[in-house]
Amino acid sequence: MESRASRPRLTPVKIVVAGGFGVGKTTFVGAISEIEPLRSEAIMTQASVGVDELFANTGKTTTTVAMDFGRISLKNNLVLYLFGTPGQDRFHFMWNELAKGAIGAVVLVDTRRLDSCFAAVDFFEKRETPFLVAVNTFHGERQHSVAEVREALAVSPGVPMVYCDARRRLDVQAVLVQLVEHALARALEEVTAP
Amino acid sequence: MDDRISAGPNSEGRLIRPYTMTGGRTGADQPYIALEALVCATPTGVRNKHQFRWEAARIIDLSRKETAIVEIAARLDVPIGVVRVVVADLAHRGAVQISEPPSDVPASLEGYTYTTLLQKVLDGIKSL
Repeated sequence: MESRASRPRLTPVKIVVAGGFGVGKTTFVGAISEIEPLRSEAIMTQASVGVDELFANTGKTTTTVAMDFGRISLKNNLVLYLFGTPGQDRFHFMWNELAKGAIGAVVLVDTRRLDSCFAAVDFFEKRETPFLVAVNTFHGERQHSVAEVREALAVSPGVPMVYCDARRRLDVQAVLVQLVEHALARALEEVTAP
Repeated sequence: MDDRISAGPNSEGRLIRPYTMTGGRTGADQPYIALEALVCATPTGVRNKHQFRWEAARIIDLSRKETAIVEIAARLDVPIGVVRVVVADLAHRGAVQISEPPSDVPASLEGYTYTTLLQKVLDGIKSL
Protein backbone atom coordinates (compact mmCIF):
# COMPACT_ATOMS: atom_id res chain seq x y z
CA MET A 1 0.00 0.00 0.00
CA GLU A 2 1.41 3.37 -0.96
CA SER A 3 0.35 6.40 1.02
CA ARG A 4 -1.05 9.58 -0.40
CA ALA A 5 2.34 11.15 0.11
CA SER A 6 3.84 11.63 -3.30
CA ARG A 7 4.88 14.73 -5.14
CA PRO A 8 4.68 18.23 -3.69
CA ARG A 9 1.96 20.26 -5.34
CA LEU A 10 1.49 23.28 -3.11
CA THR A 11 3.30 26.61 -3.28
CA PRO A 12 3.88 28.43 0.03
CA VAL A 13 3.68 32.21 0.39
CA LYS A 14 3.65 34.40 3.46
CA ILE A 15 2.52 37.72 4.86
CA VAL A 16 3.87 39.27 8.05
CA VAL A 17 1.64 40.92 10.64
CA ALA A 18 3.65 43.36 12.73
CA GLY A 19 2.94 45.90 15.44
CA GLY A 20 3.51 46.52 19.08
CA PHE A 21 2.92 44.08 21.90
CA GLY A 22 -0.77 43.48 22.56
CA VAL A 23 -2.04 45.31 19.48
CA GLY A 24 -4.05 42.31 18.28
CA LYS A 25 -1.73 40.55 15.83
CA THR A 26 -2.73 37.04 16.85
CA THR A 27 -6.40 38.07 16.86
CA PHE A 28 -5.92 39.36 13.31
CA VAL A 29 -4.29 36.10 12.21
CA GLY A 30 -6.90 33.99 14.00
CA ALA A 31 -9.79 35.85 12.38
CA ILE A 32 -8.98 34.42 8.96
CA SER A 33 -6.74 31.40 9.57
CA GLU A 34 -8.19 27.97 8.79
CA ILE A 35 -6.38 26.59 11.83
CA GLU A 36 -6.23 27.91 15.37
CA PRO A 37 -3.13 30.11 15.42
CA LEU A 38 -0.13 28.01 16.36
CA ARG A 39 2.99 29.05 18.21
CA SER A 40 6.47 27.91 17.37
CA GLU A 41 9.76 28.75 18.95
CA ALA A 42 13.21 29.53 17.70
CA ILE A 43 16.23 29.42 19.93
CA MET A 44 18.65 32.23 19.34
CA THR A 45 22.15 32.49 20.67
CA GLN A 46 23.33 35.87 21.89
CA ALA A 47 25.99 35.80 19.21
CA SER A 48 23.42 35.61 16.45
CA VAL A 49 21.42 38.63 17.52
CA GLY A 50 21.12 40.96 14.57
CA VAL A 51 22.37 38.33 12.19
CA ASP A 52 20.15 36.85 9.52
CA GLU A 53 20.87 33.34 10.69
CA LEU A 54 18.88 31.37 13.18
CA PHE A 55 21.71 29.50 14.74
CA ALA A 56 25.13 30.97 15.17
CA ASN A 57 27.40 28.30 16.51
CA THR A 58 29.55 30.36 18.80
CA GLY A 59 27.00 31.47 21.34
CA LYS A 60 27.25 30.57 24.99
CA THR A 61 23.78 31.66 26.00
CA THR A 62 20.49 31.18 24.25
CA THR A 63 17.13 32.89 24.26
CA THR A 64 13.82 31.61 22.99
CA VAL A 65 11.63 33.66 20.71
CA ALA A 66 8.05 32.63 20.01
CA MET A 67 5.95 33.55 17.02
CA ASP A 68 2.31 32.92 16.27
CA PHE A 69 1.10 32.01 12.84
CA GLY A 70 -1.91 30.82 10.91
CA ARG A 71 -2.56 29.19 7.57
CA ILE A 72 -4.99 29.82 4.70
CA SER A 73 -5.33 27.45 1.76
CA LEU A 74 -5.96 29.37 -1.45
CA LYS A 75 -7.10 28.15 -4.85
CA ASN A 76 -4.44 27.41 -7.47
CA ASN A 77 -2.60 25.21 -4.96
CA LEU A 78 -1.30 28.12 -2.93
CA VAL A 79 -0.96 28.08 0.82
CA LEU A 80 -0.61 31.39 2.62
CA TYR A 81 1.06 31.55 6.01
CA LEU A 82 0.39 34.58 8.20
CA PHE A 83 3.09 35.34 10.74
CA GLY A 84 2.69 37.56 13.76
CA THR A 85 5.98 39.18 14.70
CA PRO A 86 7.21 38.75 18.24
CA GLY A 87 6.05 41.91 19.97
CA GLN A 88 8.87 42.75 22.32
CA ASP A 89 11.58 45.06 21.05
CA ARG A 90 14.29 42.66 22.07
CA PHE A 91 13.09 40.22 19.45
CA HIS A 92 13.42 42.52 16.48
CA PHE A 93 16.29 40.42 15.18
CA MET A 94 13.70 37.80 14.29
CA TRP A 95 12.01 40.16 11.87
CA ASN A 96 14.60 39.67 9.10
CA GLU A 97 13.85 36.00 9.10
CA LEU A 98 10.12 36.67 8.96
CA ALA A 99 10.34 39.36 6.29
CA LYS A 100 12.58 37.30 4.01
CA GLY A 101 10.53 36.37 0.99
CA ALA A 102 7.31 37.83 2.38
CA ILE A 103 4.75 39.21 -0.06
CA GLY A 104 4.32 42.13 2.29
CA ALA A 105 3.48 43.20 5.80
CA VAL A 106 0.51 44.54 7.72
CA VAL A 107 1.51 46.99 10.45
CA LEU A 108 -1.30 46.82 12.96
CA VAL A 109 -1.75 50.01 14.94
CA ASP A 110 -3.46 50.83 18.20
CA THR A 111 -4.09 54.57 18.17
CA ARG A 112 -3.76 54.71 21.94
CA ARG A 113 -0.18 53.48 21.59
CA LEU A 114 1.01 54.80 18.25
CA ASP A 115 4.64 54.80 19.29
CA SER A 116 4.61 51.02 19.67
CA CYS A 117 4.55 50.57 15.90
CA PHE A 118 7.29 53.04 14.94
CA ALA A 119 9.86 50.26 14.88
CA ALA A 120 7.80 48.17 12.48
CA VAL A 121 7.19 51.09 10.10
CA ASP A 122 10.91 51.90 10.10
CA PHE A 123 11.88 48.31 9.55
CA PHE A 124 9.68 47.69 6.50
CA GLU A 125 10.49 51.08 4.98
CA LYS A 126 14.23 50.42 5.21
CA ARG A 127 13.83 46.90 3.92
CA GLU A 128 11.56 48.08 1.09
CA THR A 129 9.02 45.40 1.97
CA PRO A 130 5.56 46.42 0.69
CA PHE A 131 3.42 47.22 3.71
CA LEU A 132 0.28 48.98 4.79
CA VAL A 133 -0.88 50.40 8.07
CA ALA A 134 -4.09 48.96 9.50
CA VAL A 135 -5.59 50.96 12.34
CA ASN A 136 -7.26 48.47 14.66
CA THR A 137 -10.65 49.72 15.79
CA PHE A 138 -10.82 46.94 18.33
CA HIS A 139 -12.17 49.31 20.92
CA GLY A 140 -14.82 50.71 18.66
CA GLU A 141 -13.44 54.19 18.42
CA ARG A 142 -12.14 56.10 15.46
CA GLN A 143 -10.87 59.01 17.46
CA HIS A 144 -8.12 59.72 14.97
CA SER A 145 -8.53 60.25 11.26
CA VAL A 146 -6.37 58.27 8.89
CA ALA A 147 -4.67 61.55 7.98
CA GLU A 148 -3.80 62.20 11.62
CA VAL A 149 -2.38 58.73 12.06
CA ARG A 150 -0.40 59.06 8.85
CA GLU A 151 1.09 62.30 10.04
CA ALA A 152 1.87 60.95 13.49
CA LEU A 153 3.60 57.89 12.02
CA ALA A 154 5.32 59.93 9.30
CA VAL A 155 4.67 57.24 6.70
CA SER A 156 5.01 58.18 3.06
CA PRO A 157 1.88 58.98 1.02
CA GLY A 158 2.32 55.80 -1.00
CA VAL A 159 1.68 53.56 2.00
CA PRO A 160 -2.00 52.53 2.19
CA MET A 161 -3.76 53.15 5.49
CA VAL A 162 -6.97 51.43 6.46
CA TYR A 163 -9.23 50.86 9.43
CA CYS A 164 -10.02 47.33 10.50
CA ASP A 165 -11.48 45.39 13.36
CA ALA A 166 -8.94 42.60 13.82
CA ARG A 167 -11.67 40.31 15.14
CA ARG A 168 -13.72 40.48 11.96
CA ARG A 169 -12.87 38.05 9.21
CA LEU A 170 -14.20 40.31 6.44
CA ASP A 171 -12.12 43.23 7.70
CA VAL A 172 -9.00 41.10 7.81
CA GLN A 173 -9.69 39.74 4.36
CA ALA A 174 -10.09 43.30 3.02
CA VAL A 175 -6.79 44.32 4.60
CA LEU A 176 -4.99 41.38 3.00
CA VAL A 177 -6.55 42.19 -0.39
CA GLN A 178 -5.32 45.78 -0.13
CA LEU A 179 -1.86 44.66 0.90
CA VAL A 180 -1.47 42.23 -1.99
CA GLU A 181 -2.85 44.83 -4.43
CA HIS A 182 -0.26 47.25 -3.09
CA ALA A 183 2.53 44.66 -3.44
CA LEU A 184 1.35 43.84 -6.95
CA ALA A 185 1.33 47.52 -7.96
CA ARG A 186 4.86 47.88 -6.60
CA ALA A 187 6.04 44.76 -8.44
CA LEU A 188 4.48 45.97 -11.70
CA GLU A 189 6.23 49.33 -11.29
CA GLU A 190 9.53 47.53 -10.97
CA VAL A 191 8.82 45.43 -14.04
CA THR A 192 7.95 48.45 -16.17
CA ALA A 193 10.56 50.79 -14.74
CA PRO A 194 13.18 51.78 -17.33
CA MET B 1 34.57 26.04 15.64
CA ASP B 2 32.53 24.34 18.23
CA ASP B 3 29.27 23.30 16.67
CA ARG B 4 27.76 21.89 19.80
CA ILE B 5 25.38 23.76 21.97
CA SER B 6 23.52 22.81 25.09
CA ALA B 7 19.79 23.06 25.07
CA GLY B 8 20.17 25.89 27.52
CA PRO B 9 18.01 27.09 30.35
CA ASN B 10 15.02 27.77 28.12
CA SER B 11 14.35 24.16 27.43
CA GLU B 12 13.66 23.19 30.99
CA GLY B 13 10.59 21.08 31.28
CA ARG B 14 11.13 19.34 27.99
CA LEU B 15 11.40 15.59 28.25
CA ILE B 16 14.14 15.47 25.70
CA ARG B 17 16.60 18.24 25.15
CA PRO B 18 16.12 19.45 21.60
CA TYR B 19 19.70 19.02 20.54
CA THR B 20 19.73 15.43 21.64
CA MET B 21 17.51 14.91 18.61
CA THR B 22 20.00 16.38 16.23
CA GLY B 23 23.07 14.75 17.68
CA GLY B 24 24.29 18.10 18.91
CA ARG B 25 24.12 19.84 15.55
CA THR B 26 22.77 23.35 15.67
CA GLY B 27 21.87 23.95 12.08
CA ALA B 28 24.82 26.23 11.37
CA ASP B 29 26.12 23.67 8.91
CA GLN B 30 22.72 23.11 7.31
CA PRO B 31 21.23 24.86 4.32
CA TYR B 32 18.74 27.60 5.09
CA ILE B 33 15.14 26.43 4.82
CA ALA B 34 12.42 29.09 4.88
CA LEU B 35 9.96 29.06 7.78
CA GLU B 36 7.08 28.55 5.36
CA ALA B 37 8.86 26.02 3.12
CA LEU B 38 6.65 22.97 2.71
CA VAL B 39 7.81 19.49 3.57
CA CYS B 40 6.31 16.52 1.73
CA ALA B 41 7.07 12.91 2.62
CA THR B 42 8.15 10.75 -0.31
CA PRO B 43 6.87 7.20 -0.79
CA THR B 44 10.39 6.06 0.11
CA GLY B 45 10.25 8.08 3.30
CA VAL B 46 6.89 6.66 4.28
CA ARG B 47 8.01 3.11 3.49
CA ASN B 48 11.22 3.44 5.48
CA LYS B 49 9.80 5.44 8.32
CA HIS B 50 10.68 2.82 10.92
CA GLN B 51 14.36 3.17 10.09
CA PHE B 52 14.42 6.72 11.42
CA ARG B 53 14.54 8.03 14.94
CA TRP B 54 11.19 8.90 16.43
CA GLU B 55 11.37 12.64 15.75
CA ALA B 56 12.25 12.05 12.11
CA ALA B 57 9.50 9.46 11.86
CA ARG B 58 7.00 11.93 13.28
CA ILE B 59 8.07 14.52 10.74
CA ILE B 60 7.50 11.99 7.97
CA ASP B 61 4.03 11.29 9.40
CA LEU B 62 3.15 14.97 9.62
CA SER B 63 4.39 15.69 6.11
CA ARG B 64 2.31 13.02 4.44
CA LYS B 65 0.21 16.11 3.97
CA GLU B 66 2.43 18.98 2.87
CA THR B 67 3.29 20.95 5.99
CA ALA B 68 5.46 24.01 6.59
CA ILE B 69 8.66 23.88 8.64
CA VAL B 70 7.17 26.28 11.17
CA GLU B 71 4.01 24.21 11.51
CA ILE B 72 5.98 21.01 12.08
CA ALA B 73 7.89 22.81 14.83
CA ALA B 74 4.67 23.95 16.47
CA ARG B 75 2.94 20.59 16.23
CA LEU B 76 5.92 18.64 17.58
CA ASP B 77 6.72 21.37 20.11
CA VAL B 78 10.37 21.55 19.17
CA PRO B 79 12.36 24.61 18.11
CA ILE B 80 12.37 25.57 14.43
CA GLY B 81 16.13 25.06 14.15
CA VAL B 82 15.81 21.46 15.22
CA VAL B 83 13.15 20.81 12.60
CA ARG B 84 15.39 22.36 9.95
CA VAL B 85 18.25 20.07 10.86
CA VAL B 86 16.14 16.92 10.84
CA VAL B 87 14.26 17.88 7.67
CA ALA B 88 17.50 18.69 5.83
CA ASP B 89 18.75 15.27 6.84
CA LEU B 90 15.55 13.58 5.68
CA ALA B 91 15.68 15.44 2.37
CA HIS B 92 19.28 14.37 1.91
CA ARG B 93 18.17 10.76 2.38
CA GLY B 94 15.27 11.10 -0.02
CA ALA B 95 12.62 10.68 2.66
CA VAL B 96 11.03 14.11 2.14
CA GLN B 97 10.93 16.81 -0.51
CA ILE B 98 11.10 20.49 0.36
CA SER B 99 9.18 23.17 -1.59
CA GLU B 100 10.83 26.51 -0.96
CA PRO B 101 8.66 29.61 -1.42
CA PRO B 102 9.01 30.91 -4.99
CA SER B 103 9.65 34.44 -3.75
CA ASP B 104 12.85 33.12 -2.18
CA VAL B 105 13.95 31.25 -5.26
CA PRO B 106 13.09 33.30 -8.36
CA ALA B 107 14.48 30.57 -10.62
CA SER B 108 11.82 28.19 -9.37
CA LEU B 109 9.00 30.34 -10.74
CA GLU B 110 9.10 28.19 -13.88
CA GLY B 111 7.73 30.51 -16.48
CA TYR B 112 5.36 32.50 -14.41
CA THR B 113 6.61 35.69 -12.98
CA TYR B 114 6.38 37.13 -9.53
CA THR B 115 3.55 39.42 -10.60
CA THR B 116 1.60 36.42 -11.85
CA LEU B 117 2.12 34.76 -8.48
CA LEU B 118 0.88 37.89 -6.68
CA GLN B 119 -2.16 38.04 -8.96
CA LYS B 120 -2.99 34.44 -8.06
CA VAL B 121 -2.58 35.16 -4.35
CA LEU B 122 -4.84 38.18 -4.74
CA ASP B 123 -7.50 36.16 -6.57
CA GLY B 124 -7.22 33.50 -3.90
CA ILE B 125 -7.74 35.86 -0.98
CA LYS B 126 -10.61 37.63 -2.73
CA SER B 127 -12.46 34.37 -3.29
CA LEU B 128 -12.14 33.12 0.27
